[in-house]
Amino acid sequence: MKMTRKQFLQTAAAVAGAIALPGTAASAPLAPQRGMDEGFPASERKGPKRGVSIYSYNHEFNVSATLEDCLMELSDLATPGTKIGLEVLANAHIKNYPNPSTAWIDEWYKMLDRYDIIQVEYGHWVDTKLYSETKTIDTKEGVEMLIADIKLAARLGFTRARTKVGMQGGAPMTTQTPADNFFEIIKGALETAQKHNVRMLTEIHTPTPLKGPTMDKYMDFITKENTNPWFALNIDFSVFQTRLAPQPGAQASAAGGQASHVPSWMGKLPLAVPEDMIPLIPYIHCCHAKFNNMTDDCEETTIPYPETLKVLSDHGYNGYMMSEYEGIDKLQGGAWPAVRKQHVMMKRLLGEA
Amino acid sequence: MLEMEAVQQRGFRNVYKDGQCTGFQIAYRSTYYRGISLSLSKGFRVLVDGEQFPREAITVIYEGETYTQDELAKAGHVQWNLDEPVFLNIAKPGGLKLGVHEVTVNWSHRISYIGTMPGVPEQTPPAAAGGPGPTGGTQEFGGGNCTRKLVLVR
Repeated sequence: MKMTRKQFLQTAAAVAGAIALPGTAASAPLAPQRGMDEGFPASERKGPKRGVSIYSYNHEFNVSATLEDCLMELSDLATPGTKIGLEVLANAHIKNYPNPSTAWIDEWYKMLDRYDIIQVEYGHWVDTKLYSETKTIDTKEGVEMLIADIKLAARLGFTRARTKVGMQGGAPMTTQTPADNFFEIIKGALETAQKHNVRMLTEIHTPTPLKGPTMDKYMDFITKENTNPWFALNIDFSVFQTRLAPQPGAQASAAGGQASHVPSWMGKLPLAVPEDMIPLIPYIHCCHAKFNNMTDDCEETTIPYPETLKVLSDHGYNGYMMSEYEGIDKLQGGAWPAVRKQHVMMKRLLGEA
Repeated sequence: MLEMEAVQQRGFRNVYKDGQCTGFQIAYRSTYYRGISLSLSKGFRVLVDGEQFPREAITVIYEGETYTQDELAKAGHVQWNLDEPVFLNIAKPGGLKLGVHEVTVNWSHRISYIGTMPGVPEQTPPAAAGGPGPTGGTQEFGGGNCTRKLVLVR
């Protein structure tokens, strides 16, 4: 039976209400999601797992780092005996996208094996503004581009696509919503996604709040059309950001940040709290572990990582968290040590170290 | 390999046709964090030693194909991959003198996942000296002015 949006919200509210009873020491975990095949090998460990989006290394990519250099770096982050998750951006990291050669694909698989890497998420875009700022592409053209990306993602072994379709609306950015034919384009590709085991995930990212008109539109569509997991959610931890990152000129590794000067496009910090994810866990099949600043004690100073990882661990999240570094020292080679520090932090928080 | 700055020195030279110097060429790499279709480009503008070149004076060569800026706007299915620069061909009879020149390239592009923000121009405005400066730096979120001193030898 398809759940109406009202029923979904009532259920979610009831669950959230039951968990949030005053006096309870910790949220009671939801029952594990049985039967939800996450698309990973049967041997995959349970619980949240670590990965990296090599977007983080974009400053050096093609200048002093090749794709292989990035994958080699990732192998230094993997716990011995396990694999580290990988996210690529399709039109940045795939040679001759959208038509990589078979020789390149052969080498791709060899490198993944050599560096203990599991393919997790394929970041791609449906550029609705392909020809115009104001008129989106035809739905048919959008569906064709989306299907081509799903097939390429599957060919490279990815089980998730971070599918970015167009947005509309102007200022303030917190009020922007999906473009008119966003959902039509997604509908046209659902069958292909399921056939190829690729989950299309829309990313919830600043300045989109976890509760608001855009989320309502997504959850309306997901529940009415019963699309989970073939169209579902990726949560970017930027929505939980509570403090501003160090501004240009400040010491990048100094603890803290100023909450005072928030750029207007970000809206009010925070846009969400980690507990807001609890009713959404069945719909979340990947996360972006966004971060802005690591101290030398390997703590993140702008986003509540301990609380975020605890919610994911306690409530049955079995997917990956893909590091995305946006610190200002990226321009001075800061991404490489920052991602390492973040993984030390995540290992500690997950009880792996 | 590519140089760190968006404006490349490798590729900077005068251009000849039928024995006549018709202009000069600048190689430019995209420092945007992803590759895009050529049609998302809002155009290239060039400023050299204070001389502003109009949009029509600049054609764009990518993977051996030449595009006017109008043709660029229609190239929806040509991917500008990040490991390849574009070569900007700038018409200037007689070309540039040998020696050091201050070169600014301005570039911008449409972004589909951000709704239309007020005040954002439809086409790339004229280049203005400045940008990340001669030591480079990424403009990972959308182009802009990049100024660099380049040496022309031929």
